[in-house]
Amino acid sequence: MRIRPDILRTYQSIHTWTGITTGLLLFIAFFAGAITMFKPQIEQWATPPAQALQQIPTELLDSLIQTAVNNSEKAKDGFIISFNDNDSPIKWYEKGGGRGLRLDDHLRHASFNDDGDWVSQASSTNELGTLIDQLHRTAGIIGKIGHEDLGVLILGIAAVLYFLALISGIIVLMPTLVKNLFALRQHKGVNRFWLDSHNLVGVISLPFHLIIAWTVVVFAFHDLFYGGLSILYGDKPLFEPRERSTIEYSVSQLHSIDSYIAEVTPIAEGYQITSMEFSKLNSTSPSLAVELQSNGRMMRGGYSDFVYMHPYTMEVQYNTISQVEEGLYGPVVNSIFALHFGNYAGSFGRWIYFSLGLLGAFLFYSGNLLWLEKRRQKQAAQRKATKIMASLTIGVCLGSMLGVAVAMLATKWLYLLSEQVNSYYLSCYYIAFFAALAYSFVRGAALAAISLLRLLSLCCLLIPVTSGIALLLPQLAIWAATDIASITIELISLIFALLFYIAAKKAYHRAYFGEPDSIWAVTHQQSELKPQQNSSTQVLP
Amino acid sequence: MTRLTQAEKIQPHWWRKSLTASLLGLSLSYGVIAMFAWFGPGGIDAPMKVQMNMWLVSFIWLPVVAFSFLFKTATSAFGYLMSANLVVYSLFAVLWWLT
Repeated sequence: MRIRPDILRTYQSIHTWTGITTGLLLFIAFFAGAITMFKPQIEQWATPPAQALQQIPTELLDSLIQTAVNNSEKAKDGFIISFNDNDSPIKWYEKGGGRGLRLDDHLRHASFNDDGDWVSQASSTNELGTLIDQLHRTAGIIGKIGHEDLGVLILGIAAVLYFLALISGIIVLMPTLVKNLFALRQHKGVNRFWLDSHNLVGVISLPFHLIIAWTVVVFAFHDLFYGGLSILYGDKPLFEPRERSTIEYSVSQLHSIDSYIAEVTPIAEGYQITSMEFSKLNSTSPSLAVELQSNGRMMRGGYSDFVYMHPYTMEVQYNTISQVEEGLYGPVVNSIFALHFGNYAGSFGRWIYFSLGLLGAFLFYSGNLLWLEKRRQKQAAQRKATKIMASLTIGVCLGSMLGVAVAMLATKWLYLLSEQVNSYYLSCYYIAFFAALAYSFVRGAALAAISLLRLLSLCCLLIPVTSGIALLLPQLAIWAATDIASITIELISLIFALLFYIAAKKAYHRAYFGEPDSIWAVTHQQSELKPQQNSSTQVLP
Repeated sequence: MTRLTQAEKIQPHWWRKSLTASLLGLSLSYGVIAMFAWFGPGGIDAPMKVQMNMWLVSFIWLPVVAFSFLFKTATSAFGYLMSANLVVYSLFAVLWWLT
């Protein structure tokens, strides 16, 4: 297909500028997003198995609730019933609870033991998965504007530019698309190979990227879009305000669990109830959130759908499962959410999204590499902008992955220090991230890439090694991965250890034996200036 | 393809084009959505349509911005987008007046 050269040039500029300004942010969002596909599994992997008490048959739940509210004032306000085998049948917040992310909540778990006696124990919450999700949504940018995270808004702007980058990238590629799509030319130099793989990944995952870009814009700016919409709607309210009740109920008026299940079942055919969260039970606005899962359906939440009920009147107040009588728009809106969350094809779909997310991260990383290669001088001394961008690319990309790897490695060991591990995750991430970034600027991108990749490989290797240590030294309070999901997490970690090791070897080779006039070369002059950087045997004459 | 003269080529006008496309593109997509909301399938009261409309605003806005750089100059971008806005909003006004 022929396109006018001035159009190509225009969109080449757009592609370059939108890409280089957003690439690093999007890298973090994408690799963290890929991990987020398995958030429940990661949270379970990171939670000490001793925290969960044994499950009980559904018919015993009513008497369990009764005992709990008799035993605890806090349970009278609200509690969570779980039907998950790896979770306690009932939990409530002794401190914290409610919407939003908090790092120091205290839970109490309760159950009946085999003799039918009441048992309970306290625990903290584990927010590792939630924090990785937070990293995914904010790229690690801290701060709030109103009730919205600053990072979310910045990623929203980045997503607009990312959309432009996608469209412009495709336009630029059009003339050679058919001829070169599957050409991965290795003999034409490294640069050409990076460009070919960047293009191939971009084109084959284009629908995914268009969906992600669009949904992220809406996730970030839906309040603004609704604001504009309310003008078009004039006097018509966008949403019917919920009637405020003045009747106050008390926990003794709750219905049986069976009756809630009977109420939910007809509107959630094909779904399984995973949990029921009762909250604000002693107020005029009590609520019951029934969480439901279905494999292979487009769900509105990341991992589930919800039915919100009034726990006393049993009236269904809001429901994210599309109902036939709601017509066309409900299913379409729900499917847009599901297309972002990748929850519509069971675990197979999650692995696909995991791969697409990592490929996305690769897309932005390779984009930055191409920018650097295009601008590098054919000489040992590189321009300042190129050097800064190279250090940023290595520091931010490898640093953010290192932060997550360190937090995941530390999690089981942190429980030896304290029950409240969540704030340590943040310290782990930010210390590793900023240390890597600083290191990348101090030592230069070429050397930093080698050491950071080695460190990443080591951290990923030590994650399964921790399980091994737990098996060998059972007296330590750490635990080994035993269920399939947890073992898979550690296997994946092992694979990444290997990948980072290979990458480190390649980076090393590139630095000392690759093209000498490159930003990735540890040049002769550089090593003479800083002889401590490497032993003399490694330097090419 | 014959060579284009300098005057026939697309002029960059980055800032002016971006600003024009963002603002007029947004008002254009709201105009289209206004028609869809009030006179589209299901009318204004169809269930879940508010959310659908909110999603569609950016669905129209983003491509309009992306392709606005095809306009030769910032002035022509303004001209075309302004006319499109006028057409859409007058159509909306006519439909409003008819019903």
